Amino acid sequence: MKHTLLVFTLLTLFTTTLQAGGPWPQARGKAYLKLSEWWTVFDQHYTDAGLLDPNVTTGIFNTTFYAEYGVTNRFTTIINAPLFSRNYVNNLRSSTTGELIQSGDAVNSLGDIDLGIKYGLTKPGSRFPVAATLILGLPTGRSVAGIQDNLQTGDGEFNQILQVETGTSFRLGKKVNSYASVYLGANNRSNGFSEELRYGVEWGFGLMDQRLWLIGRLNSVESFKNGETAATVTSTSIFANNTEFSGVGLEAAYYIKGRWGISASVAGAFRGEIIAAAPAYSVGVFYDLNKTN
Amino acid sequence: MKFTLLFLVPLVLFTSCVKDDFVADTVDPSLRIDQAVDTLAINTEFRFTALYLNNIGTAEEVSILWQSSATDIISIDLSGLAQALQVGSTIITATFNDGNQLVQDSIEVHVGEETVIVNSDRSGVIATTSSYLLRGDFTLSAVGNGLELSIADNYRASTALPGLYVYLSNNPNTIANAYEIGPVTTFSGAHSYTIPAAGINDYNYVLYFCRPFNVKVGDGEIQ
Repeated sequence: MKHTLLVFTLLTLFTTTLQAGGPWPQARGKAYLKLSEWWTVFDQHYTDAGLLDPNVTTGIFNTTFYAEYGVTNRFTTIINAPLFSRNYVNNLRSSTTGELIQSGDAVNSLGDIDLGIKYGLTKPGSRFPVAATLILGLPTGRSVAGIQDNLQTGDGEFNQILQVETGTSFRLGKKVNSYASVYLGANNRSNGFSEELRYGVEWGFGLMDQRLWLIGRLNSVESFKNGETAATVTSTSIFANNTEFSGVGLEAAYYIKGRWGISASVAGAFRGEIIAAAPAYSVGVFYDLNKTN
Repeated sequence: MKFTLLFLVPLVLFTSCVKDDFVADTVDPSLRIDQAVDTLAINTEFRFTALYLNNIGTAEEVSILWQSSATDIISIDLSGLAQALQVGSTIITATFNDGNQLVQDSIEVHVGEETVIVNSDRSGVIATTSSYLLRGDFTLSAVGNGLELSIADNYRASTALPGLYVYLSNNPNTIANAYEIGPVTTFSGAHSYTIPAAGINDYNYVLYFCRPFNVKVGDGEIQ
């Protein structure tokens, strides 16, 4: 089945960073940069019935560059680029004889690049800011690879996500800054993939004089199930379609010195259809121009 | 410090090597007499053969012990060559000792005026062994030198599974050494597959696998 695409859905939703989450564009001339490693390894998945079934162990590893840049105080450009994406499947051996039944395989390449723009619909400093984000998913990865044509570093389709976000910032006690945001978006897909509805909430708070940020996320994807299936396409494509899930993510971001910091996160789906059933992890280094050096 | 962290990030890639998964593919060894002989014509010879399948369902060439329960009706030598001597009935047994157990198959054979070989169809029920929808009745028939696998109108399969393939196999747990019939293109209703150059008794299971990720979806034992 099309597990690697299931993973890409998680990747898109759970690599949003401290600064990208929420309706706060970057200030003019400010930027947020991050280099991270994201990975998941799974040997079971949620089926179309929402139940868990096994599969051959599959892994995806992405070395990703993420950046936001404030063109104006209300207009931010975004790039999420998996510079190195690796997808592999394990060998399958007989437990009786140890003989190889099916060879494992791997592919390494550039992944699918997302380009986005975020526009603040409200004036900077609004008590309840609202922003709109447009993300263009470019099929720069490899959609079919490997001897069995069962490997991917991209979904092979051009998609557009339009979402609206709102939120607010507040204090917890005297010293802890906090924020909360929600978003609602739609994903228009091509190449026979079903359109999707996406929504989620995020809550974060800063400790240790705002050097340590802890963030929680809840994200969901609902498929309109209006795309192709195996019954309507003649090719034995491996692409996952009609993926749905709800998942939670936790991230910790720590400013080590000045503008430099490190982050770590974990995310996973607690319910889903046609999606990997295993946590996804990420560790990274970031540089935040909003901070003084 | 920051440069050290930058170099540490890609080190995670070293955990991304291809390793081994193991499938539990042990099955009971079996021996199957190939010919569905009902009657041998008196005073004629007939060569019996048998197929031995080992503990992973793979055919092996082995020395088989052939026996007749009534050697005055049909005698049979170690090579499986039988002589029909007089009218009556006997049990023809093929035996192989694999070192752990005796594996046997037997058929009742009559001696009469003419040789009768029964080419009866075999059938079964496809059932899902996963969380994906898969069900339906099927019939396997000998057609010329090959077979026809006919799936009944009550067949249903999930359309969430591109890469779904159908096989004939002697091991319900793996497609190793299985006969790949082809990709599934029909997901409901009656349809059929033609299998050239295969015997009606060559396989014991119809298997459905998601081939790219080697995940079993369902099977049907051929009765």
